[in-house]
Amino acid sequence: MSLWSRLRASGVLGINQRNAEYTSRWNRRKHYPSVDDKLETKRLLRGAGIATAPVLAVARTHSEVREMLRQLDRHASFVIKPAHGAMGNGILVVHERDGDWFLRTGGQWIDRRALSYHSESIISGAYALGGQPDVAFAEERLTVHSELRAISIEGVPDVRVVVFRGVPVMAMTRLPTHRSRGRANLHQGAVGVGVELDSGVTNFAVCEGRAVEVHPDTQQAVLARAIPSFERVLEIAVRASDQTQLGYVGADVVVDHDHGPLVLELNARPGLAIQIANRSGLVPRLAEVDRRVKPEMSWAERIALGREIARRARSGELQ
Amino acid sequence: MNRAAGVTGTILFVIGLLIFGWKTLVLHLPVLPSNLENLWRVELEIDARGAGDRGSVRTALPDSDTQQEIFDERQTNDRLVFTIRTEKTGQRIGVWSGKFDGVHNLSHAFRVQLSDQPLPLPTDFSQAPPADVGETYLKSSARFPADAPEVRDLVARIAPANPSDPLGQMRLLLGYVSDEVLTASTGSDDALLTLAAGEGSQTGKARLLIALLRAAGYPARIAAGLRLGAQKEAREAVWAEAWAGGEWLSLSPSLGFFGSRPPDLLLLRTGASTLVEETGLEAMSSRYRVLRESLRANEVASFMVPSNPILAAISLYRLPVGSQEALRILLVFPIGALIIAVLRNVIGLRTFGTFMPLLISLALRELPLAFGLGLVGSVIALGIVSRLLLERLQLLLVPRLGVLLCLVVLAITAQSLLGRTYEVKDLYASVLFPVVIMTMLIERFSITTAEEGLPSAVRRLALSTFAAACVYPIFRITTLEHLMFGFPELVISVMGLLVWLGGYTGYRASELWRFRSLARAREDGTA
Repeated sequence: MSLWSRLRASGVLGINQRNAEYTSRWNRRKHYPSVDDKLETKRLLRGAGIATAPVLAVARTHSEVREMLRQLDRHASFVIKPAHGAMGNGILVVHERDGDWFLRTGGQWIDRRALSYHSESIISGAYALGGQPDVAFAEERLTVHSELRAISIEGVPDVRVVVFRGVPVMAMTRLPTHRSRGRANLHQGAVGVGVELDSGVTNFAVCEGRAVEVHPDTQQAVLARAIPSFERVLEIAVRASDQTQLGYVGADVVVDHDHGPLVLELNARPGLAIQIANRSGLVPRLAEVDRRVKPEMSWAERIALGREIARRARSGELQ
Repeated sequence: MNRAAGVTGTILFVIGLLIFGWKTLVLHLPVLPSNLENLWRVELEIDARGAGDRGSVRTALPDSDTQQEIFDERQTNDRLVFTIRTEKTGQRIGVWSGKFDGVHNLSHAFRVQLSDQPLPLPTDFSQAPPADVGETYLKSSARFPADAPEVRDLVARIAPANPSDPLGQMRLLLGYVSDEVLTASTGSDDALLTLAAGEGSQTGKARLLIALLRAAGYPARIAAGLRLGAQKEAREAVWAEAWAGGEWLSLSPSLGFFGSRPPDLLLLRTGASTLVEETGLEAMSSRYRVLRESLRANEVASFMVPSNPILAAISLYRLPVGSQEALRILLVFPIGALIIAVLRNVIGLRTFGTFMPLLISLALRELPLAFGLGLVGSVIALGIVSRLLLERLQLLLVPRLGVLLCLVVLAITAQSLLGRTYEVKDLYASVLFPVVIMTMLIERFSITTAEEGLPSAVRRLALSTFAAACVYPIFRITTLEHLMFGFPELVISVMGLLVWLGGYTGYRASELWRFRSLARAREDGTA
């Protein structure tokens, strides 16, 4: 059997198929701004009572940067982000401060001027898709849940849940590494760990395209770990996707040590690496959702459906 | 595969192909270019400005002879009256006359088939020149000072009369002016000054040769025309003609030919060397544009006046040379888009920007590929270095891009000064447009470097360059250009292929590699 047909048989979703049959069919273009603008996402979710990472200050113009930094004077740690950033670009994490000096992820100290330059670059659109003017905002720095501390380094792990037509179909947690410079992006060297939807337990992990069992930096086992508050993670992922009117969403949820699960951001074109981390193709699950989901189902029913489908997919019942 | 896309794509593809088939099979338009070496389309463009007074613009019109065949002449009048006058010598002169008010854009265009067969030299010299030829072309004058003592002395010294071998004597005179007098564009136009200085312009040398020929007793006259070549703007040339054995022979002391004109030389005028003249105008500028044709005269005619009246009305071959040139490039674009679509959606290449590789290769189409890519490479290297410097200055985005743009402009300026391999004019034309693209490319490259690391950025850049190199050839394939220009309906077919490709939901080649572990997992599972 050729590689092509073996992938087909595994139900692997390719980019062309994702674009043609899922994102462009289920995600109407006019709903994109609600997820492409992180501040807009937060506003939307706050209205529905879904927790997001608290915003500390916002700078919409170059002249507001000074005021934003002044408001940050009360905080020892924070994260500066572009509202329209993609793939974690343009995110600056401050762990500690000493007066006008700030400690970034990776151990680099920078001064207030560098911070202000970074914010202004964001506003100029340096990190936005298409380079259009953007908005810089500062968020509270989230802290790693104690149960995940052993397997994340320099950053906060998140749980990516792919939600199709309101049904969770696949999940993985992304563990930052030293190589990924604290970011939770797989192509930058983070560890992708598949999470079983029905149990919330990790069952497979990849890093740099290779299967791993331990975190490359801490050498702690990444498999057979339970994601804390996983029920709640699924709940807010599904309810957040309901708010967006998008049919195919990747919800990034962080289980914060203090606040519990928070929606970090939503993605209208979620990546396909989640299939590698789960050692499982998306197509059979998506097809099953198409067959079984009904508009009148509540979010709890849809989560139950997603878990059942995931369990059957794992046992090889779905084709 | 998306059915609707498949059906729509197939319909479009077939529509384009049907029109193409009808034109080639029913109307018998030639599918492939004949690749004739020496068929050209020449267009004289004149901008004439007048202050409301009567005036005229006159230009020499070419005639068919044994070495060139002129056809398909046409001209634009722009509110003036165009007439053709025939001089006593048989030379045709095109005259635009009337009241010149403001700027008038005049043009005269024709096609010419140049012969590359040299003519046999005459052998029978018994025939004396006709009375009018002898009368007009043997006289000594200010321009052709055949009676000047230094001219007479020179003839006696280097080429004494030899009635049995007139061609030999002519060759000696030609050889002297070719070898002993330098050609310099800054040299004199005057025959005697040219002789004295040992250096003259093309005109100066031709006039000197004519004076020598007349002094030796051969009727001789000046001739002017164009050298046709790869450059879009033709270079004017001036040479001499001498009467011997019942015909006019061509001799050039600057280009070095004797007897026949070389196969790249178009004769426009004899008896005078000015090609365009005016009276009563404030200002005038003129240029000859040249385009190599790949079709025979009758084939061009079949495109220009097909039997079908609708086709005749929309034939691209009727457009002015300038528009034709632009359209020839434009109509190849869809093929480039198709290649990019395949590279991205079927192969899975990740490039900087969707059509940036297409634009890069378009920008470089005038230059050889290696030189072009070298240019890209050096410009980018410079950009990266300067970007690193800019990073330290912490400039805002738009001014930073502006500085990069300045550096790119400076780099290209330096390159055109140092390189000199290609005429600056060509570089200029090919460089104006990509400057902005290069700047954006550098910026994207450096952002990717900052965000994803240098290896990732270099990989993307290499893939972009690879994509550009894949697209590049289409701008240089004459057959493709001819096909798309002669049969623009093929764009509909390309559109069909693109629609069809747009419905492709299969894996990209790169994904087979990316997800290979999943395929293996499956195999293990079933085993």
